[in-house]
This record gives sequence, C-alpha cells and structure tokens, in this order.
Amino acid sequence: MPDWLRYVRDHLSLVGCPATREAEIVEELADQLEDAYQEALRLGLSDQEACLAASDHVSDWAKLAEDLRRAGFLRPQTGPKDPSSLLNRKRPTFSVELNNQFAGAYKSSIAAITSNVCQDLHYGLRVLAKNPGFGLMAVLTLAVGVGANTAIFSFVNTILIRPLPYPNADRLAIILAGQGNANRAPVSTFELFHIREQTRELDQIAGIWVTDATLPGEGDAEQVKRGVVTSNFLPLLCPKPQLGRFFRPEDEDRQQDDKHARAIILSHGVWVRRFASDPGIIGRSVRIGHGSGVVIGVLPASFRLIFPNDASVPSNVEYFDTIPVDASDPGGPEFLHLIGRLRRGSNLARAQGEGNATAAHLRSLDSKIALANFRISIFSLQADDVREVRTSLVLLFGGVAFVLLIACANVANLVMARAVRRVGETAIRAAVGASRGRLVRQLLTESFLLGLIGGAVALGIGWAAVRAILAARPPSLTNFGEIHLDWRGFAFTLAVAVSTSVLSGLVSAFSLRSLHLTRGLKDASRPVGWRGYSGPRVLVAAEVALAFMLLLGAGLLVRTFVNILHTDPGFRAIDVATFRVTAASYQALEQLQKNLLAFPGVQTVSAVSHLPLDDTGNWYDYYWKEGAPADQQNTVMADHRSTLPGYFSSIGATLVEGRDFTESDDASHQHVVIVDDVLAKELWPGATAIGQKLNISDSPGGPYQFQRDWAVVVGVVRHVQCHSLTAFVRPQIYVPYPVAPRPSMSFVIRTRVAIPELGVIVRREVAVVNKNLAVTHLESLSAVVVRAQAESRFVSLLATLLSVIALLLACVGIYGVLSCSIAQRTHEIGVRMAIGAGRSRVMTMILTDGLSPVLVGLTGGFTVSSFVTHLFTRLLFRVHPGDPANYALIVFILILVSALAAFLPARRATKVDPVAALRSE
Amino acid sequence: MSALFNRELKKGSAELLVLCFLEARPRHGYEIGKLIETHSNKRIQFRVGSLYPILCRLEQRGLISGRWVEKPGERRRRYYRITIEGRRVLCRQRTAWEEFVATINQLLSTKYA
Repeated sequence: MPDWLRYVRDHLSLVGCPATREAEIVEELADQLEDAYQEALRLGLSDQEACLAASDHVSDWAKLAEDLRRAGFLRPQTGPKDPSSLLNRKRPTFSVELNNQFAGAYKSSIAAITSNVCQDLHYGLRVLAKNPGFGLMAVLTLAVGVGANTAIFSFVNTILIRPLPYPNADRLAIILAGQGNANRAPVSTFELFHIREQTRELDQIAGIWVTDATLPGEGDAEQVKRGVVTSNFLPLLCPKPQLGRFFRPEDEDRQQDDKHARAIILSHGVWVRRFASDPGIIGRSVRIGHGSGVVIGVLPASFRLIFPNDASVPSNVEYFDTIPVDASDPGGPEFLHLIGRLRRGSNLARAQGEGNATAAHLRSLDSKIALANFRISIFSLQADDVREVRTSLVLLFGGVAFVLLIACANVANLVMARAVRRVGETAIRAAVGASRGRLVRQLLTESFLLGLIGGAVALGIGWAAVRAILAARPPSLTNFGEIHLDWRGFAFTLAVAVSTSVLSGLVSAFSLRSLHLTRGLKDASRPVGWRGYSGPRVLVAAEVALAFMLLLGAGLLVRTFVNILHTDPGFRAIDVATFRVTAASYQALEQLQKNLLAFPGVQTVSAVSHLPLDDTGNWYDYYWKEGAPADQQNTVMADHRSTLPGYFSSIGATLVEGRDFTESDDASHQHVVIVDDVLAKELWPGATAIGQKLNISDSPGGPYQFQRDWAVVVGVVRHVQCHSLTAFVRPQIYVPYPVAPRPSMSFVIRTRVAIPELGVIVRREVAVVNKNLAVTHLESLSAVVVRAQAESRFVSLLATLLSVIALLLACVGIYGVLSCSIAQRTHEIGVRMAIGAGRSRVMTMILTDGLSPVLVGLTGGFTVSSFVTHLFTRLLFRVHPGDPANYALIVFILILVSALAAFLPARRATKVDPVAALRSE
Repeated sequence: MSALFNRELKKGSAELLVLCFLEARPRHGYEIGKLIETHSNKRIQFRVGSLYPILCRLEQRGLISGRWVEKPGERRRRYYRITIEGRRVLCRQRTAWEEFVATINQLLSTKYA
C-alpha cells in the first residue's frame, strides 16, 4: 500500500508555510489521494494502475503549491469572515459579476503578500547559495563601490557640506586685508576700529592673533598656543562657556593696566590637563608665561577654532586673553585675523561692497596704506576654510563615484549574464505555469537581495575605510572635528546600489518579454550566452572609459607626489634635529647653543624664529629699499625670520652671496639683514644686493616692540620653502636675534645622534640654562618635511587605490563578458576548428572580440578626460594635466591589463575539442 | 455539446458547486468531488489537485469551515461544513446563476435575423 503522506511530502514544496499548517495540508491531500486509490482498486484496477490513477489527481505540484499560496494557506480562517464585498450588492449581474465577486475575494491579503515575499527571498537566497562565485563577486563588487563612496562622502559631508559648529555659521565671514603684493593679510587694531565704525552689513567684527606661550604650572613647563582676541571674539563662535563667563569690553582695558592681573579664558583641554578639571578655577590667579592671569572662564570641550590654514590660527589654542582695539596708531603692527557676522538679511556681496567703501575710507585716513592700495576682501568663513581642500575632496569624491559606476556596471553585467544563462530555467518555470509577472518579481527580488547584502558588506568596508583614511589624513583635514561613517551617505549610496542592482534585474526581466518557451527549453541543456546583446559590451566600454579617467588622474597625482619628493625645498633636512623653546632670553639661547655644540657628534647648532614648514604663527611685513619712492614703499611683503648665527649651515641652506650673521651683529652695531635671492632679484634686479640698505621692521627693545629701521644687506641666501613644499608664498628676510627677539625659537642641530638620545641631552642642557623653559616639538627636520608631503601623499595614495580598484573591476567586467561569450560560442568555435581554423586564429578572434569594447572605452575616456583634466591643475606640481607621457602610460596599462583579462578566456577557447563541441549540440 | 464542459465555465461555477454540495451536510473533500462528478454524469470532474485549493480558498474567506473528525477504526479526515455567510452567498449566487441561465436560454432560444 503506497505511503501517500510521504508521496505528498516529497512532491509538495510549501515555502513560507508554517510547519503545522503544512502538515495538515499534506495529511488532507494524502487522505484524498488514498480515497482515489481505494476507489480505483474497487473498480478493479491493479495496485500499480490504482497508484497511477490516484497520482494523476495532481499532475502539477508546483501549480498546486502556487494555488494554495494564493488561497492564503498561511493563515486559515476559522471564524466567519466579513464577506461584505459579496453581500452589499443588491443584484449581481450574471456570470461576469459572479466571477468578479469571486475574483475580488482572491485579492492577496497581507499574509499572502508576506508569504510571496518570503518565498521569493528564500528562493533568491537559495539561488545565490547555489552560485557562490556569482554571489561573492557581485556582493564584493557592490560592497567595494558603495563602501568607498560612503567613506569619502562622510568626509565630504563633514568638511564641505555640514555647517561649521558655530552659532549662525551661515552668516559668519572672514575679513582679509590686501596691501601691495599680499592679498590675504591680517589687519591692525587701527584698521579694525575703522572697519567696525563703518560697517552696517556686519553686526559683529572680532579679531584673533595666535602666538606661543609657556604654562609653567606645577609639572613640566608646557608650551601652548595663546589666542589674543577682541572681547567679542569668543561669543561669536561659542554659545556659552562651560564655566564662568566670556570677556567683556572692560576686560580689554584691564589688560593694559599693570596693577591688575589679565583676565584669561582656558580651553577645556588645558583645564582638564593642567588644572585637574577643578570647578573652583574661576577667579583663581594662574602663572602664564612671565606673568599671571585670572581665570574668568573655561570653554566647552566641543569648542575648536576652524580657520583657513594660511591664517596661522590653529585649532588647538589653549588659552585666550584680550587686547584693546586701539585707533590711535595707524602704523601699528598688523596681526589680527578678522571674522564678522552678517546682519540678518544681508549677504556677502553687500558686505563686500561696504568693505570696498571702508577700504577707500581707510586709504583716505592713512597715506601709507593708501600707497599700498589697501583693500578688504570678505568671504564666507566656511568657504574660505575649505578653500584648500575642496578641490582634493571633490576630485576624490568624483573618483569614488566613478568606482561606484564601474561597480554598478559590473553588477549589471553579472546579473544580465546570469539571467541569460538561466533562460532554460526560466522557460521551464514558465512552462509549468509561472506567470510572466511572477518570473519578473522573482528576478527583481533576487537583484534587491543582492543590493541589500552588498550594502550590508559595504557598511563594514565603509567603516574600515573611514578609519584608515582618518589615520592617514593630512593636517589640512584635521581641523574639522569628528568625522565618522555618515549614515545619510550610507543610506544614499545603498539606495544607489540597490537601485542599480534592481535596474539590472529589470533589464534582465525586460528580456523575458521575448522569451520563447520551446527555444528556451531546448537551450536549457547548454550554456546560453549574450551574443547579440549589446548591453554588456556597452557597459564594459563605459567601465574602461571610467577607469581610464581615474587612472589618468591618479597618474597625474602620483607624478606630482614624486615631483614633491624630489623637489629642492632650499634646505637639507637629513641629519637635522629640531626642538622649540619659548620665552628664553638671548643669553640663555646663546648658552644653550654653545653647550649643545660641545657634544660629540653635533656639527652645528643654531636657532630660528620660524622653522620651514612648521606651524608657528607666521610673521611678515613690508620692506623697501633705500631711495624707494613713497608709492613703492609698503608694496613688497616678505616673511620675517629671526636667527642665531650658523642657521644657514645648520639647516643646509645655500648662502649665494655675502656672509652669515656673527655674534657681533647686535643692536649696538650697524643693523644687518640677510635676504633671499627672490627678494634680492625683486629689489635690485641685475645688481648685487650686498651692501644695499633695506627698510625693515625690527624690535631691539624686545618682542612686539616694533620699529622701522634701516639695515644693510650682508648676505643673500637661496629661497627656502617655508609654507609648503610646492607653493611660493613670499620672499624672506633674516634678521639677527638681538635686533629682533622672538618669544619662541626653534633650534636646529645638524647631527647624526638619534632623536631619543639627543632628547635626553637637550632636556638636560635646557634645564641647566633655565629650568622653567619647556622643550617641545623635538623631532627630526625630515619628519617635518614628511608632514608637509602628507596632503599630496594622501591624495595620490587614495587616487591610486581608487584607480587600482577601478582597473580590477574593469578587468573583472572584461573577463566576465568574454567568458560568457566563449561559453556560448563553444559550438561555433568547434565548427571553425573542425573546418581548419588554427588555435592562433581562434585566439586572435576571441582577443579581438574582447578588446573591441576596450578600444571604444579608451576612445571615450580619452575624449572626456581632455575636457576634465584641467580640474586637477591646482593639485599638480611640475606636471601638465595634458602630459602626453601620462596618457601614453595609461593607455598602455589599460590595454595590457585588458589583454591579460581577455587572454584567459581566449586560451580556454583554443582548448575546445571540436568533436566534443559538435557532439554537445 | 462537449462531454466535458468548457474549462472556463467550470472555473466560474466551481465554488458555487462546492457550496451547493455542502448545503445539506458536512462532507470531506474527496466526497465533494465524487458527488459533483456523479450528479453531472461525469461531465464535470474535479481532480484533487484542482478541488483542494478551492476548499482552502472558501475556508480562507469564511464561507466554509473545516474540522478534523476521528472515528474509531478509521483514519481522521477533514470535514467541511457551510457557514452562515456561506449560505447567504450560496443563496445569492444561486439566484444570480438561475437568472443568468434563464437569460442565456432566452437569448439562445430565439433565432435572430
């Protein structure tokens, strides 16, 4: 007697049906088949015939399962259900109405929809599990594209899109002065006073100047950044202090009054580190620098200064005090960096118009700045902050978008290839009753699943990529605070990934439109390719075009980085150690220089106020030669460096002409100056600078006690790159320390002694000279140079990484298309070989077939890139965007790699056995 | 006339027939199929694979309800009975069907010029 239970269980697949319900259905069907079997026996049929007769009651198990699913087997209705749709009608009309009434009841309930989706998802997972190679390739491709995009978008969003973390950030502006050859200069308190007086478009204007100071405290002395601000500066950027209060206008006057201690506000970091988060700090007097200050407030932990890099306002200012805005001295030093807040309803254009009028007013007040064509520029603070990194970030974002596009093209190729391979399976499913809609839904569900899994893996890749980028980011990207995986960005790119995947599914589904059952079933026994489908080839051509552009950009950036590595910065960083001390007297510096020079292995020792490529707040001013007419004074601006003798030999700079400073070059003798070759050529073209007189700003009376003075040029030195390795900012002049003392000096020691050993010696010797001096920034000058290379290294590294990913993905695309094409052409290849085609001819045929979309892609990429490479110009150094060598190299790499990707399938084609290929047909 | 009715006609009337054969008393699935076949002189036949989803659908819609019945010495079987709602729907559909058939008969009995 047949086991009908087992028979039904073996044939009926109720995916998504609860087990208890499924058992009931199986039992009931088995019961009815048993009835049919028994009846057949009663009619005199043999056991075997009775079995056949009973089993004939269900000829299509898949259809039965589908019918049951449509009937809503998930939730059998036990109680009466409201058939209002059937009862509310008074007079049904005939059979059409009858059918409609029943059909109305067929509408899928939520349970049925859920069941459908579950079944499709389950089937989709089974299909993916059955083809792990396809699944892995598609998921990884998608994940790499989406993950990289998410990571870079997180940076773009934080730095370029998200508003600065300040109140009314959209109304904050930076105000820059221009005089002579300088366009982004600071202003004096005199100029600030008048800008405030004149403005109607800005409701607040505040200034800051950052310098170095020492915190003696109880432990080791610590060198910190001191922010000298106008009293309204901090309230402009910070809603409220964590403790105490902000400065008030009366605090500005208090700074001038020697009888009272200065009011200071501490950063959160220094409050925690140096004062153990003491809540009673407010009102306490603390030693700072050579004096003391009364703490009136502590800033919140979240507060940070975000200024353009060239403003010399770092983010890590540790304490603030105030200065008065003094209108009495038009010739006062210009050091204040200004920010302002636009009035509600105003805009930058109106503010700039007003700034032009103010500049004209100031020119009328002071002939000196009138001659220098004093001008005012007003920009959005946010736009100016990101000015330097915007190009890099936008290009990198474009790069990852290209990678995503390539990844999407690859996934589309993979999905389409699989759909074509599954024509046989699809035909069988259609033959056993699956509707076209049902088949399309299944394809789309699989694509959606693919996008979803790819997105989930991309989350991990994106997270790791953000961490890796954070670890490698250059200093120019560190000012912008917390950068983390951006969920909005992830949602966006995931949506793109899922959409692309689903779109690929739609394209495949579209091909079902012309599905021919008989042909499909016939083809089910052999692999079906996509010969005749142009989609995959178009996608490969697009991938190659995108990869070409990425490689081109990466090539330019890598060559820029190599050029930077080989550029001559005007000094030799190898075997030079450096450290910084603050608030040391000339005697202490001289003594320290002598003591360090006495150590074995130390060749030369000197000190400078501003180490090349360092972050010390820059000093610069106007200079003019003797006899310069009034309109040529205040037009040439140069960086101002104060040095001890021996600086040029210590740093390895080249003295072109004249001599270095000596110990006798002090305030009591003729003031002397050394200029760089750029300034020498500008002021005395075609003549020697030695012996010429130059009007300089020095301060023999002490730091900040500036005065104009005439000095004789005693030397000309090669220009030293001070701000970056690539950009020329302005020329330099060097002044002996005794006539221009500075609060902070960096020592440079030419030695082969390792930094840790040298550190011990330096700290001991500094303590001998003055135990309150802090030693900071002890490192090799090479480390400073490496830091200066960071941005170029970062951008070129990321661009290279992206282009390598793009190249790999493009190769996968070429390989996939060719593999599929060859699988479909096995018979054709067999025929060709049977009638005499040699292996080399077959190889050539396949390679030509594979490389034709590559050539199309190269042409497209070449054409488009000729319009976009100029975008790289700002990031390039000594390499032209249209460099033919770069183009040639990239074309060569792409053709070589594409040929390799095409070679493997081509070789497989030559191994086809003609007899086996023909028999397979 | 064809020995077996047109498939579409059968499809349109299947649920009505099931309700009709459950009107008098509860029956199990195979019995309903056999009754339809017998009373139609085998002109309407439902195989298990076709009838069972109809039963499920009617039950799902609350027009019939099924329950397992165990009798001594026999395997348990699922019997279906018509619900109150099922009777109301049957009544209305029967009327509609009769009107439909009468109308069709009327139309068919006339020869049109």
